[in-house]
Amino acid sequence: MLSMQGICKSFFGVEVLHGVDFAVDKGEIMGLCGENGAGKSTLMKILAGIHSQEAGEVVFKGEPVRRNATPLEMQHLGVSMIHQELNLLNELTVAQNIFLCREPRSRLGLIDFPRMNDEAAKVLQRLGEKIDPRRKVRELKIAQKQMVEIAKAISFNVELLVMDEPTSVLTGKETKILFDLIANLSAQGIAVVYISHRLKELIDVCHRVTVLRDGYFVATKDIAEVTAQDLASLMVGRDVQETKVSEFAGDSEAVVLEVRDVSDDMLKEVGFQVRRGEILGFSGLVGAGRTELMEVIFGIRKPRTGEVLIEGKPVTIKSAIDAIKADLGFVTEDRKETGLVLCRDVAENTNYVYWQKTRGFFKSRRVSAANTKRMIDRLNIRCQSPAQNVSNLSGGNQQKVALAKWLLSGARVLVLDEPTRGVDVGARQEIYRIIQELAAEGVAIVIVSSDLPEVLGICQRVIIMHEGRVTGTLLSSEMTEAKIMCYATDV
Amino acid sequence: MEALAQPSESRILSIIKNIWQKYSVIVVFAVIIALSGIAAPRFIHPDNLLNILRNTSIVGAIALGMTFVIIAGGIDLSSGPVLATSGAVLILLQRMVHPDGTPVVPLALAILVCCAVAVAFGFLNGIIITKAQLPPFIVTLAVGIIARSVTMYFCRGATIMGNKIPQFTRIGNGSIFRIPIPFIIVIGLAVVFHILLTRTKFGTYVFAVGGNENAARYSGIKVDRIRIATYMLVGLCTGIAATIEMSRMAAVAATTSGAQYEFEAITAVIVGGTSLTGGRGRLIGTIVGFIILGIVNNMMIMLNISPYLSGAVKGAVILFAVLMQRRER
Repeated sequence: MLSMQGICKSFFGVEVLHGVDFAVDKGEIMGLCGENGAGKSTLMKILAGIHSQEAGEVVFKGEPVRRNATPLEMQHLGVSMIHQELNLLNELTVAQNIFLCREPRSRLGLIDFPRMNDEAAKVLQRLGEKIDPRRKVRELKIAQKQMVEIAKAISFNVELLVMDEPTSVLTGKETKILFDLIANLSAQGIAVVYISHRLKELIDVCHRVTVLRDGYFVATKDIAEVTAQDLASLMVGRDVQETKVSEFAGDSEAVVLEVRDVSDDMLKEVGFQVRRGEILGFSGLVGAGRTELMEVIFGIRKPRTGEVLIEGKPVTIKSAIDAIKADLGFVTEDRKETGLVLCRDVAENTNYVYWQKTRGFFKSRRVSAANTKRMIDRLNIRCQSPAQNVSNLSGGNQQKVALAKWLLSGARVLVLDEPTRGVDVGARQEIYRIIQELAAEGVAIVIVSSDLPEVLGICQRVIIMHEGRVTGTLLSSEMTEAKIMCYATDV
Repeated sequence: MEALAQPSESRILSIIKNIWQKYSVIVVFAVIIALSGIAAPRFIHPDNLLNILRNTSIVGAIALGMTFVIIAGGIDLSSGPVLATSGAVLILLQRMVHPDGTPVVPLALAILVCCAVAVAFGFLNGIIITKAQLPPFIVTLAVGIIARSVTMYFCRGATIMGNKIPQFTRIGNGSIFRIPIPFIIVIGLAVVFHILLTRTKFGTYVFAVGGNENAARYSGIKVDRIRIATYMLVGLCTGIAATIEMSRMAAVAATTSGAQYEFEAITAVIVGGTSLTGGRGRLIGTIVGFIILGIVNNMMIMLNISPYLSGAVKGAVILFAVLMQRRER
């Protein structure tokens, strides 16, 4: 019923889909899986008309689809997509959400509310749901909201429904209901594309599964002939890098940072230790809770329970300044949002934490200029001058400035969250070199990374998380991409 | 994306753009002075120029503090009413005299109390904005309405005359070497504030908070404290402005004292090139900004334009200034 052939797509000059093929039959439940950044969502967004492809063809029900089709056109053709983040208007009613922009009108041109509510109720009934269509979406539980999304999709006479990670917010029981519903839709002849990281779910619910990797089509398999382990190895199956890091050789007793029993809405009893000079990695899929854990340690998130010890002594960290005083550093995941003040210059951005740590009301221009120069030299930051705005630097150089801020502060534990995201290859190698130098100087390094080759290439030990829990720990000698992926998907 | 990879031609262009961005205010300033001189030759007369400086100093003082608030990503709409409230306190203290004519409260103490009242209002604004996490626009608007109403209550809606002693009236009306004392006060304040903004950690944090509050917080900057401090600074400036204003008339008018001053101060800051989105701005721009406003006011009189149209002209000036900022971006 659907066939996509040779789909190519680039963002900002980087090709993310390289001629992907994808096909779905009528009434089929097709799983779609791959690592973070494999191109699953991008491919489906092209299908739903949110992005348009640069090359390749989409054929739906035997008709070629116009390349720049809008989401509304695609919905009228019978293709709907339910996104990972729900797209409902909380202040409107269920019926208003379902019929948004195509509300039934009375003869005066006003919205015919009774008819709209009736029709909404009919659609919901098809799903076996008894939500009152007059209720505001805000009052609904998350699973009910998802039902409303599905109802909205179905009300378009959907023939192909794409669901992006639909169970990530659902409880076990709600997931069961969703699976029954999907089977029911399939029986009605509606095809479903089911994107998920949860390989067990794919095995349970799908007829066939397509695996993508780094923007390439890898394989489409009948579900009967694969296991979850097979899928995990298909997802990562790239050439495994042979450059192994040597194991941690320092003092195994010299624990600098210890975290015990951290729990909150997301995290479940997480604990770990990192030693002087050790490079520890945190791996897992998006939503595993790794960034949240680091935010707890740094005093940005308030945990329900948990304890942080620095060199054996418990410390109370209520805000970033407490963490800074305890000699922690945190290079955040999103340098534009939380790492840098983009409209200020390199010198100021480099010195923010340093100034927090030093006394005095005035800032010494001499000292801060010397600091900046030292950091520019050490990290090889390419800028026209220290007075250049950070917004004008390339991604790699911005990342180095974000790192410089913490180097200068003399952190004993440095947490780096996705340290090479959006960084070009050259700068990436330099960042790795700096990390290794710091570890050699005795700084304990914690790297959160979704990039498996990066984890294998630099971490001496890796802790793998899945849905807020630690599911495994591997030493560098034991690490393989397949093993990490197994823990990360918890199979 | 890559700044370094630009061809040299566009780099020269970007340097020119950079210079224009930094000094466009000065260029506009020079053009306005030249045009004013041509349109009304009397404008150039030193008496007139000094008069402009005197008249513009009250809004100027508020604008200096407002610059900090706006750089930190906030705004203060309560300055005008707070000027009236703190001014009323000053007048009420200052008019109390013993039967022999000596003041009950020493003048210096009265001025100090006036400034303290204004700073307290700034603190109130800041604490509500940061702790209740409400938009500065709404909080300061509400606090301003409260301040105005309290002033009218204490003054019974009327004008209260102060004690016209020369020590007091000299502050607003006197000159030293022909330079108006209010302008000397404002320039002194500007120098201190310039050092505060550019040479201290506090000033740097103000820019950081306005530029990216999250990044500032992750760097350990106490964002709330910085924001509260900026509102207290504009409060202090308002107190000083109130002292000058009260001294000029030796009277406070419950409904009209300080009316619209907050908007004039904000206009001066924007005209001076400080970004309303926060994170960027300079005090020198604000100084030029409030003097430009003073010239506009003065020219309205010189050219015999109806005072009812002054709002129309100022509104146009704001739009023009903001439009220029958009172009530069």
